[in-house]
Amino acid sequence: MDSLVRDCEKLSKHQTAAMNKTLGSVEATIRALELALTEPTSLASAHRQSKQTQDAVSEQLKELCTNVAKYGKHVERTFKLDLGVVAESRAFENKRTELGQAIMLHFLRSGDFDLARSFLTEDKSIAAEDSAWERFEAMNALAEQIRTHVLEPALEWALSKRTELEALGLGLEFTLHRLRFLQLVESGASVEALGYAREWFPHSNTSSERLDEITHLMGVFMYARRLGSSPYAGLFGERRWGEGAHEFAAAFCAVQGVAGASPLAVSVAAGARALAVVSKVSSLLRERRVEWSQQDELAVEVPLPDDMRFHSVFACPVSKEQASRDNPPMALPCGHVICKASLDKLARGVRPGATASGRFKCPYCPSMAAVGDAERVHF
Amino acid sequence: MDKINVDYMLAIEEPFMKVPLEQLKREARQSQKLAERETQLVTSGLADLIKKQSSLPAEEYTCMLDGLIDKLKVLKRKLEESKQEETLLIHRSKQRAADLNELNDFTSATQSGFQRWCRTRLERVLIDYMLRNGNVDTAKQIMEKSNLEHFADSSLFALVMSTERELREQHSCRGALHWCAENRSALRKIQSSLEFELRLQEFIEMIRGKKNPEAIAYAKKHLTTWSDTQLPRIQRAMTLLAFSPTTTCPPYKHMFDVARWDGLAHEFRMVIFQLYNLPSQPLLHLLLQTGLSALKTPACQSDDTSEHNRNCPVCQTDTLGKLAQGLPLSHHSNSNLVCRITGEKMNEDNPPMRLPNGYVYSLSSLTDMAHKLGGMVKCPRSGEVYSLKDAKKLFIS
Repeated sequence: MDSLVRDCEKLSKHQTAAMNKTLGSVEATIRALELALTEPTSLASAHRQSKQTQDAVSEQLKELCTNVAKYGKHVERTFKLDLGVVAESRAFENKRTELGQAIMLHFLRSGDFDLARSFLTEDKSIAAEDSAWERFEAMNALAEQIRTHVLEPALEWALSKRTELEALGLGLEFTLHRLRFLQLVESGASVEALGYAREWFPHSNTSSERLDEITHLMGVFMYARRLGSSPYAGLFGERRWGEGAHEFAAAFCAVQGVAGASPLAVSVAAGARALAVVSKVSSLLRERRVEWSQQDELAVEVPLPDDMRFHSVFACPVSKEQASRDNPPMALPCGHVICKASLDKLARGVRPGATASGRFKCPYCPSMAAVGDAERVHF
Repeated sequence: MDKINVDYMLAIEEPFMKVPLEQLKREARQSQKLAERETQLVTSGLADLIKKQSSLPAEEYTCMLDGLIDKLKVLKRKLEESKQEETLLIHRSKQRAADLNELNDFTSATQSGFQRWCRTRLERVLIDYMLRNGNVDTAKQIMEKSNLEHFADSSLFALVMSTERELREQHSCRGALHWCAENRSALRKIQSSLEFELRLQEFIEMIRGKKNPEAIAYAKKHLTTWSDTQLPRIQRAMTLLAFSPTTTCPPYKHMFDVARWDGLAHEFRMVIFQLYNLPSQPLLHLLLQTGLSALKTPACQSDDTSEHNRNCPVCQTDTLGKLAQGLPLSHHSNSNLVCRITGEKMNEDNPPMRLPNGYVYSLSSLTDMAHKLGGMVKCPRSGEVYSLKDAKKLFIS
């Protein structure tokens, strides 16, 4: 890509030069002709000038076109994927409304209420999603306040939802208390900060890590006047407000039972990883007259990062097949897990022709087991 | 898997890079043709003038010379406009290349810079979607909000939409034919018969307006040039002259159908997209189709909602879930286990533990639970209570 940017820069310079020369040439002829108006004897030289301009213009602009074409070839070499094959699928036919709703929810979640309104006006098939609107309006208002260092409303919400937050294992309340504590210390109100800590820190989730953290925080009083150069300097960075707002939004969504991150954004990010891979495979499938989106399963694996893993996926280590309702994962007494189909095969393999009740060795360790010893697991 | 595969990310940005380039090619070619033609006319005009100079009265001399000067002045203005347009397009090209080049700066998908880049990409994908669907105001707002004008191809979509409107609502081929005339060689390269279809429609309209003699003259002028490829259809068109617009005879009834205008609008859109390397479906569609597929597991479409994960896009039953219906499931050749309680990965560092009822959870979540419940754990899915000691480690090779 670097060389492409450089080439573009070169093209830019050349285009400016070429066009300037061309315009200069045309101007010269205009001047010559204007002279010929008052001095008819200069007509012949005006004609010569015109011929000169004609040749110069042709040369300059032809060269410009060539250079543009060269740059074009460079771009073509860099971007060779043909998305047309994937675009042939009709998977989203008649699903415009559902997609519109997903986009609508994305706008609301991001706090882009003007965009949401505009979208509603321009596309009459989209529903207004009132409950989602209220929810995300509330969420964005509180998060925005955290970003502007106003913590009371968010704290009020966190306290009112204390049970739910604890049940979900979320430490939002402590995060907000800590922000308030640091805010007080930063403003020099050490006494008030200490009082705040005494009142609120003990109530928060007192796991051993939390106690360690509180102990660590208490040490900040020693550096009250020189926070910037203390070991605690990192705690006072500007980023903490954005991070606090982000944690708040995630906790808010968890309590409300909705997704923590925009599903649309997550899907598009997954798609950015998948599209190139699927595109390449689809070209091969097309030769066999098979359409990629009509298959039961994608032909190729798309590697996903941990934050896009939402469900357990079990692939049998023996057969490499994915587990399904008809072929569930089975745990052997030794703790190794294989799919039912592989289990049956192993059991039958012991005595060919006999019923599947023989003992067999686990494929991964020396322990023996019988089919009946294996139990279904649910991930 | 926090690594970024830059090649894959770049591969799908072909339309993003190619559109301004195609526009630039056209602009440069058009100004070259115009400049060559006009300067040639002026030169030959001057040669002519020199020949007649001695026998010409003063006013005519001045008049002819003025005419040539005006021609050049007009050319100069057009060239200046062209120069501006080209500069804009090259600048746009550079900005897009620079944006894509940024990808090389990021080393991990968790970096905030990369996340910001992804947000920008989502915004420009949404702009493309809105422009394609005619939601121009929403598109403009997104552009203004995030300064993304240079990432959007607004002028191209504006052309598409205004021409479509002209075809669909005003039943006029004027704009479309003008565009075809300017892009004839490109259309020939992709073997498009769009211009023929437009001419045919105008011919049909003349018959509808009972202007048969004009229709015949029109056909002679504009349809016969397509004889080598479209003869059967031209013959059928000529036969149409014998029918009235209210005919019920099948092939000819269809030719008089007003819905043909919608077909023309659609065809125009598809041809222009093809010429500019834009996919026939919005990029948002392509990303979602493949993305949802890559995320989709049997659990997502299960009727048992306890299998759903609130964070999983495919489990959003009303919106993305509906879009994912009918799409292929994701393919995995290796296991990847996720704890139902915490959503965290279960591997050697945090092994999966099997309760006596067959349900599996991560060791860390069970330990946390036991800590709060005095050594006991409660299965969230079945409600049964066991001692932590009864949980057995599983090994997923």
